[in-house]
This record gives sequence, C-alpha cells and structure tokens, in this order.
Amino acid sequence: MAEDLVFMMGKYEARVPTDCLYSKSHLWLRQDGLRYHVGFTAYSVRLLQDVYFLDWSVDSGVQVFEKQEIGEVESSKALSTLYAPFDGRIAEFNELLLDDPSGINTDGYGNGWLFTFETDAEPLTPEQYLEVLEGGWEKTQNMLKGQVN
Amino acid sequence: MAGQKKLTVVISQHQGKNPVKRQLEEELAMAFMLDPEIEVSIVPNLYDLSHDHSGLLFLQGIQGDVVVLSWLFPRATQWILDRTGVKGKAGTVFLVGEEDEEDEDQDEAEQKNPDAIGTLDVPDRLIYSIDLRASTDAQEFLDEIRRIVDVTSTETVDLMSWIQGEPKKEQLERYLNPQEILGIGNSDTGSVATGSIAEVEAEEKVRRRWYPVIDYDRCTNCMECIDFCLFGVYGVDALDRILVEAQDSCKKGCPACSRVCPENAIVFPQHKTPAIAGSAGEVAGLKIDLSQLFGGGNAVEMAARERDIELVRDGRDAVGMAVGIPKRQADSCGVRDELDDLIDGLDDLDL
Repeated sequence: MAEDLVFMMGKYEARVPTDCLYSKSHLWLRQDGLRYHVGFTAYSVRLLQDVYFLDWSVDSGVQVFEKQEIGEVESSKALSTLYAPFDGRIAEFNELLLDDPSGINTDGYGNGWLFTFETDAEPLTPEQYLEVLEGGWEKTQNMLKGQVN
Repeated sequence: MAGQKKLTVVISQHQGKNPVKRQLEEELAMAFMLDPEIEVSIVPNLYDLSHDHSGLLFLQGIQGDVVVLSWLFPRATQWILDRTGVKGKAGTVFLVGEEDEEDEDQDEAEQKNPDAIGTLDVPDRLIYSIDLRASTDAQEFLDEIRRIVDVTSTETVDLMSWIQGEPKKEQLERYLNPQEILGIGNSDTGSVATGSIAEVEAEEKVRRRWYPVIDYDRCTNCMECIDFCLFGVYGVDALDRILVEAQDSCKKGCPACSRVCPENAIVFPQHKTPAIAGSAGEVAGLKIDLSQLFGGGNAVEMAARERDIELVRDGRDAVGMAVGIPKRQADSCGVRDELDDLIDGLDDLDL
C-alpha cells in the first residue's frame, strides 16, 4: 500500500491515506463492494478534536442529496451540522459510534467510520483532496479565526 | 404604605417534561414561596405564550423589578419579554452558565452595537434574566436571587413615586388584592399559579411556537431580514422600525433570517445552535461551528436553502439566491498574522 499523503496543518500532520477517496466536505470514502464506508478525515478530526456527541437526523436506508443535512456532531471544541457528501443513499450508520463516538478519534480511518453509503458520484482522489486542503487552508484558518476572536 | 416591597420572581417552565428540569423548577418555586421577600409565579415557557395568555398578561402587569428564570439564554428572555411589552433595564446577573462565562467581561462592552436602534419606552426598573441551565444546583439560584433581593430592596424610590403619583388601575388592584399577584389558590389567574405545577398545564394549553426575536441592542434597522423573508413575518412600526409582525407566519425550524442578519440580532430561542438561540458571545463564544467546512456552505447560502425548503413546502417556487439576498458579500475576515499558530493554539483555548 502506498504511503499516506500528508497535509500540514500548522505543525500537525493530517494523514490522507491513499486507499480512500474523498469528498470536499472532508469525509473519506473507502470502497467495500457496492458501498463505501464513510468517515471523518484526519483533517476534520483535528479540527473537531474530542468528539463526544454524534446524532443522525435521517434514517438509514434513505436517499439523500448532496449537502442535505443528515446529522450533528459535537466535540470538545466545536460543533457542526453534518451534510451528505454526494447524492446517494445512506445504507447503514455505525451503531457503535452512537453509544461511544470516541472511535472517531482513536481510529478515524477504521472503526471510526460513520456510515455506509451508495453513490454514483465520483469522489475525489487523494491527490485531488490534498489540493482541496491546500487551496482551502487559508480560508479555513480565517474562518476559525473569525470565530475564535 | 404598601407594606414591604417584594421582588417578583417568575419561573418560565421548560417546554418538555424532563423530570430533572421540572424538579429544579419545583424546588425553586417551593423555596421562593417560603421567602417573605419574594413573590413567585410560574408560567409556561415564555416563548410559547400567546399574546392573550394569562401568564403573559400577568408578566405585563408586574411593576418594579423582576427576576425571570427560564431555560433560555438571557438575551433571548430579555428580547422575548421586550417584544411583549415587558420592558426594563437588564439587571446584572452573576450566575451565568459556563458557556456564557467566557464572554462575561466583554458583554457590557460588546453587547450594544453603537449603531443599534435600541428599544423604546424602557421604564426605570430592572429585569434580571437568569438561565436555568446555568447550574444544576438549586442552591446557586437561591443564593443569586437572595443577592438580587438584597440589591433591589435598597431602592425604595420607585415605590414612593407611584404611591404619590397616580397608580395605574392594575397597580391599585394588586395593592388592594395582593393574592392576585401571588396567584395562590386563585383559579382565574389561569396558569399563573404558585401551587402545583400540574395545575399549570391543565389550565391553559400552550403549544410550541417558533418565531424570531429581535435584539434591538444589535439591530441597526438595515431591513435585510424583511427583504429576505418571503413569508411576511417582518414588518415595520409607525416609526419605520423593523419588528416581528406576524410571529406565527414563521416557518417552524427555519432560522434563515437570523443567518442573513449582518448584526446577529435575530434570535430563535429554541434553535439548537447557541449563536442563533441567543447566546451572548459572538459565536456563542463557546464552540467553533465547523458546518461550513463540512459542506454547509456559507450562512447566506444556507439561509437561501432553508428558505427554499419552506417555499416548496408551501407549494411555492424555490427562489434560491435570486431574491432578497444581502448585497454585502463580505468574506472579509480581516488581517492575517500568525495564523499557523491558530490550530496549534486551539488546544490552549479554554473554550
């Protein structure tokens, strides 16, 4: 397996594994048969930090459209609404995380997957995602700064 | 003399039937009832009271200082009351939740926008809004109210002025019939009762409502909300000041206008995001909202999308970004300096 790509968030190394595909909304998608497992990238997890609450507002099995609100996440530092990464169908949520979302932090690219997803969309390649990160880093920092101040 | 001046304490109940919250309400109500310097009343959730609800009429009838305990951010409480004509200067509350504490220092300085239009006809009395989520310990609330009783009982000037002046009809009424305010065992005070909380619910059905509340200490009368909302919620008064005219035309769950407000002056007290629900800080001061990062788009896009959903639900056409979108497209986040430290610095932020 090829070595992970890395994006430097300040001094923090955010890994971008090459066996995944990605969405602009900072989720990874790893193909598993007809479905993808979907989770938060290291970049998202770094911004969220310790996740302690995860809630889905749609049922599994439903069709969703890109950017549709599907849930909420709250961490020690942040909160966010979660949105569908592409048009598609959410097959199943990771039940384990609902009781204890810490898997997102401890094994974000593995057991910390959020849901399985079926889509015809073409996710970003690791290289493309890295470009998104590079292109958006300044804006992200500005956004954070705007909120922190 | 009208006897000893009492401090009126009003408990605004939680919407739900959460037993823990109910218990805190009851515990406080009992303690206040036993306090000779306090008059306590319980009303259903302030935000849900319709204009003719007896709980609201009661609040409107209160003269003098009042403490309102509610499960809402104090800013929300203050402006809900303001909209219903229950006005006063905001009393200083020391008991604030952890979340708001951060901003406490800057509150005084930053709350008021110098360009804000402010509210009108504010009488010279204090309204203390306390968030019942500020603590889970009833004693902390009791201590805080005690402190307020001590502060307010030193001001007797007000009392004298109305005794010498012309008391209003309802003032006189209360003076002659003090039980009326206490609401004890008086069935026609409706849900304003200090007795059993169960009674409160039985008396007058209160349904959950959803509408925006304007914070006039921030609002600059820019009219972007009235341009944006296509459901006729906003209007202007005789002085051309923006107001929430048709509260119940608002679409349940839709906070879109608050997102387009450049001054963050529109509060939806029941919204899940603290910044929209009226937390004091600029962004709730507590948590960073990453929604934009996770695909939410910017606030204006989000607002347009939320509005479209409601338009379609009403059988109308979605308008997207074509109508009523603020001209400002400010993505200006100011100066950039040591931004690389920012993420590393997040760890140190004691948010």
